[in-house]
Amino acid sequence: MTLLDGATPAPATVPPVRRRRRLTMFVRRPFFTLALLVAAGFVVSAAFAPVFAPWDPTYQDIGAMMAPPATAGHLLGTDSYGQDILSRILFGARYALGIGLGAVAIGALGGLVLGMAAGLAGGRTEWVLMRIVDSILALPSLILAVAFIAILGQGVDKVIYAVGVALIGPFARTVRADVMQVRAQLFVEAAGLMGLAWLTVVWRHILPNVVYPLAVQVTIRISEAILVSSSLSFLGIGVTPPTPDWGLMISEGRAFVSFAPWMAGMPGAALAILLIALSIVGDGIREEFDPKMQRGGS
Amino acid sequence: MFRFIAGKVFQTLFVLFLVSVASFTLLKLAPGDPIEIALGNEYSEEAHQDMLAELGLDRPVVEQYVTWLADFVRGDWGTSYTARADIFTYAFVEALPVTLTLAVFALGLAILIGVPLGVLSAVKKDTLWDAGSAAFALTGTAFPSFFLGIVLIWVFGVKFAMFPVMGFVAPWEDFWGGLYHMVLPAFTLSTYFMAMIVRLTRANLVEALESPYIAAARARGEPGWRVVWVHGVRNILMPLVTIIGLQLGVLLQGAVLTETVFSLPGAGQMITNAVLNREYGIVQAGIMMTATLFVLVNLAVDLAYPILDPRLRPSR
Amino acid sequence: MTEVDHRKILAERLAAKLGRRTVLKGMAASAGMAAAGGLLMPKGARAQQSGHLRVAALNHIDTLDPHFTGFLSAIQVINNIHNGLLKITYDGEAVRFEPDLAETWDLIDDKTHVFKLREGVMFHDGTPCDAEAVKASLLRVKEGEPTSPHAWKLELLDTIEILDPLTVRLTFSTPYAFFPVAMTGSTGRAGTIVSPAAVEKYGTDYGRNPVGTGPFKFVSWRENDRIELEANPDYFEEGLPKLERVTFVIMNEPSSAVAAMFAGQIDAMTDCPYQLVPQITANPRTELYGDVEGNYTYVAMNTRRAPFDDINLRRAVAAAIDRETLLKQAYFGNAIQAYSPISPPMTDFYDPEIAASGRGQHFDLTKAKEWRAKAANQGEITVNYMMSETSGPTGTRIAQGVAPMLAQIGIKANLELIEAANWVKRRNSGDFDMFDFLWSADLDPDETLYPEFKTGGAWNFPGWESAKFDDLCKQAQVILDVEERRKLYYEAEDILMDEAPIAIVAHIKVYKVLAANVEGFQYVPADLLNLHTVSLA
Repeated sequence: MTLLDGATPAPATVPPVRRRRRLTMFVRRPFFTLALLVAAGFVVSAAFAPVFAPWDPTYQDIGAMMAPPATAGHLLGTDSYGQDILSRILFGARYALGIGLGAVAIGALGGLVLGMAAGLAGGRTEWVLMRIVDSILALPSLILAVAFIAILGQGVDKVIYAVGVALIGPFARTVRADVMQVRAQLFVEAAGLMGLAWLTVVWRHILPNVVYPLAVQVTIRISEAILVSSSLSFLGIGVTPPTPDWGLMISEGRAFVSFAPWMAGMPGAALAILLIALSIVGDGIREEFDPKMQRGGS
Repeated sequence: MFRFIAGKVFQTLFVLFLVSVASFTLLKLAPGDPIEIALGNEYSEEAHQDMLAELGLDRPVVEQYVTWLADFVRGDWGTSYTARADIFTYAFVEALPVTLTLAVFALGLAILIGVPLGVLSAVKKDTLWDAGSAAFALTGTAFPSFFLGIVLIWVFGVKFAMFPVMGFVAPWEDFWGGLYHMVLPAFTLSTYFMAMIVRLTRANLVEALESPYIAAARARGEPGWRVVWVHGVRNILMPLVTIIGLQLGVLLQGAVLTETVFSLPGAGQMITNAVLNREYGIVQAGIMMTATLFVLVNLAVDLAYPILDPRLRPSR
Repeated sequence: MTEVDHRKILAERLAAKLGRRTVLKGMAASAGMAAAGGLLMPKGARAQQSGHLRVAALNHIDTLDPHFTGFLSAIQVINNIHNGLLKITYDGEAVRFEPDLAETWDLIDDKTHVFKLREGVMFHDGTPCDAEAVKASLLRVKEGEPTSPHAWKLELLDTIEILDPLTVRLTFSTPYAFFPVAMTGSTGRAGTIVSPAAVEKYGTDYGRNPVGTGPFKFVSWRENDRIELEANPDYFEEGLPKLERVTFVIMNEPSSAVAAMFAGQIDAMTDCPYQLVPQITANPRTELYGDVEGNYTYVAMNTRRAPFDDINLRRAVAAAIDRETLLKQAYFGNAIQAYSPISPPMTDFYDPEIAASGRGQHFDLTKAKEWRAKAANQGEITVNYMMSETSGPTGTRIAQGVAPMLAQIGIKANLELIEAANWVKRRNSGDFDMFDFLWSADLDPDETLYPEFKTGGAWNFPGWESAKFDDLCKQAQVILDVEERRKLYYEAEDILMDEAPIAIVAHIKVYKVLAANVEGFQYVPADLLNLHTVSLA
């Protein structure tokens, strides 16, 4: 299963996974390697955007509005303000990764705390905590994000908070399901019987078993975070223009699709390539490192 | 059994209560009020205060909430502030069926295309077919749905003029007309699910095809298609049902964008517009509907597990 | 008639000759046809209605109650259901105010208007539209509960007398005022007559159940979906309406609407996204109607607090904004440069020499730097510029264009995107440094200047105060001579532009799009979409 690990009760039997030598992973998985390189490329372009970008990403060249790709000086064309699309895409990688990682960090941390608390507390506390998680899940994350933006105001940081908070629900649920599973397993009970302190049990046995599946979720949720943030731009309440954010560029460019498709198409392609690369990397990592699979094997 | 059902009902109501408090609080924390927006360029402080008082929006927030709750549970969903739309009619009779139709068509399309692609991927594992369907599935999730929708409108609606680009036709009144109008929006909304289903199907089927009982079926000499479609695909039912329950929220938020792009008067657009216009009553009604739906579907999923997988018994 | 022809004076004061401006294709022909249609129809014969027009309504429709709406987009629908005492007409040359429900309109003296109503006009609910109904409607606006946002427009109306069942006399406390504009004004509709029986029956829900005398009857309104109208076969103008049904389809995404228009799924649009104007014009299926209307766009500066309490800094901003660039970048050429608020459709008051004469605000970077050098704060100034995607036809485009221009004079504009509800709240409560806005004014110089910038006025968002300006506007209100009045307004405008609570940017074109097979549309440059004469080929 891919996009929803831990969301389903784990099958009673886990299929055997052959132990493979780690070193050859890159050889055995050419697509993974390629995707990893692409993702790394985005990280590099984000880090060194000022070096690579031919223009200031917010410089408006009024003489070259809506220039098509391959115009002199503007390899990928310009947008409706005469801003260079290539430069904006390079700088945009910063915002895409920043929003993706930032929002997911908030969501994962919040989900970890809430999910662990719910999974470990038991009794009435667990019941109440789970109902809170349920209610976060019952509110669609985009609508939750819209409400948070309405309260917090706008800007990249606010978008990160809003999307992050909206992601807490799904993470919490995953974590809690994993905690429940681990708690039910014999070794935890045994550890408890051996008189190990409660915190030690959590730290040594539960946390590691929860964090791995969580890490796998992260790659998938990064995509979701970036997509939700671009949806906010579509609704006119996302990242502040003229920030070179891909979601904003796609959203602004959509009004020109009929005659200047590159305005939305170029950042759209950048976003698609990044998201595809991330999900291939995520799959690869999961298949290699998922402790659930390893448990079955070892 | 009675205890079990009563517990579930209580749990559901408690979640709905939490959701209603949360959405009311969030919206009241947001600056601006519906009258100020509605007055537009005719704003004056006198008219503003007058209308607020008229609509009871000048009362304490807690009182407003309690009044809303009391009315709501008695079936009085109220009216919107300026347009005076009856919220029950708008939200439940008009908007919800549109979104449900869109969701059902999108899910149907996702299953109809996703499962065969996933099967193909699994059966022809590690070939070009496999890579191709993976690429197709991945690309679908990588574009924001509003962008995909607009591109589809211009390409298949205007350039090739194959499908209508807007509007809702109720399939219970005109099935084929409804279907025809739903092609582009349902496809737009389905891509995310389609991708998930392709990957889900592939992963589970690959695993299943290596299991002893499949080998046994093959040994019995059952035809290949039967082995795959009957014995193999049975394995993906449970995960499939699970995602439908869990990802309902994703479906609804995709619906917000798809509905706007294709001018479908559904609940997703309704809630978003209402949040932006501070139409508290509509937001509450909309959130209550979607939350109830979410809770009920997940309840149904819980109940369906034992049927789909006898190894699992209902948990409390 | 008395010796002084008051109506003529009023008419002259209001006449807004549009001059020799090109009106887009189809215009002249349709106006002629409509007139002929009315004449040829034998008296008493009912019109044969046919055809179903589907209109994409792109902007927010708040309510169909004319006395409570704040949106032109709602008036486009309301106007097809209701009539007023007066209506706005346009013959391709001049905008006029003519009797609508009234048969005659006389000015007994400069404060007294007498209306003789048409006989036998019925509301859609079958009740008669008589003097009682007119009085009830006017009182509903003037002093009804809850307060109508248009109440101020009838503040100067002293008495409403019913002389006989079809005659009303209105007496005002000052001469002329801007009565006709108040009655018909595009954002006003204070003079729209609604069925008193329906108001009684529906109360605050009237906006959901409008009952007027207009060419179309209200059928249904599915929230966020569509508003359905059907022909009123008993409409008082012979032979009209021509259409059988009209549907306003509510569409929130303009680029989808344009696609639907090209795909033939809708027949008309209430607006047109500027960047798609060339495509619409080039497409044989669609026709574009529209021109510069009574409006102005501006960048407002908050005069109540630092840094824009400094007049020199405001002057610097006003001079630093390169309007030519904004016309290209924000409006894609669909606007003309503004130098002062009075717009070209008010020909008697618009200054045709303004571009060259030096009046008003102009782009001049050297001057801007000079003003900047005189400003109290010589360090780098950071200001907050709030914007909203949905607060105007150009969204954030002006702000994005203006920010680099301000950087040239050492002002760092912190662009802040906020959602509309918050934007409106902060605008109304003065919590901003800068914002930009489109103001649609009625076709009257007083309404264009005075309520917007009078000391303490609700629409005076920059919080500017000038006793001299207030005084000039008040003087102009009661002066008859156009020449003299114009001078006063110029003087008032000059103070406003010099003290620069706003930097004025442009007068914009307001468009409607109709399919090529839609005939008989009469364009009125007041953002109206009157469909009574429209038919489908």
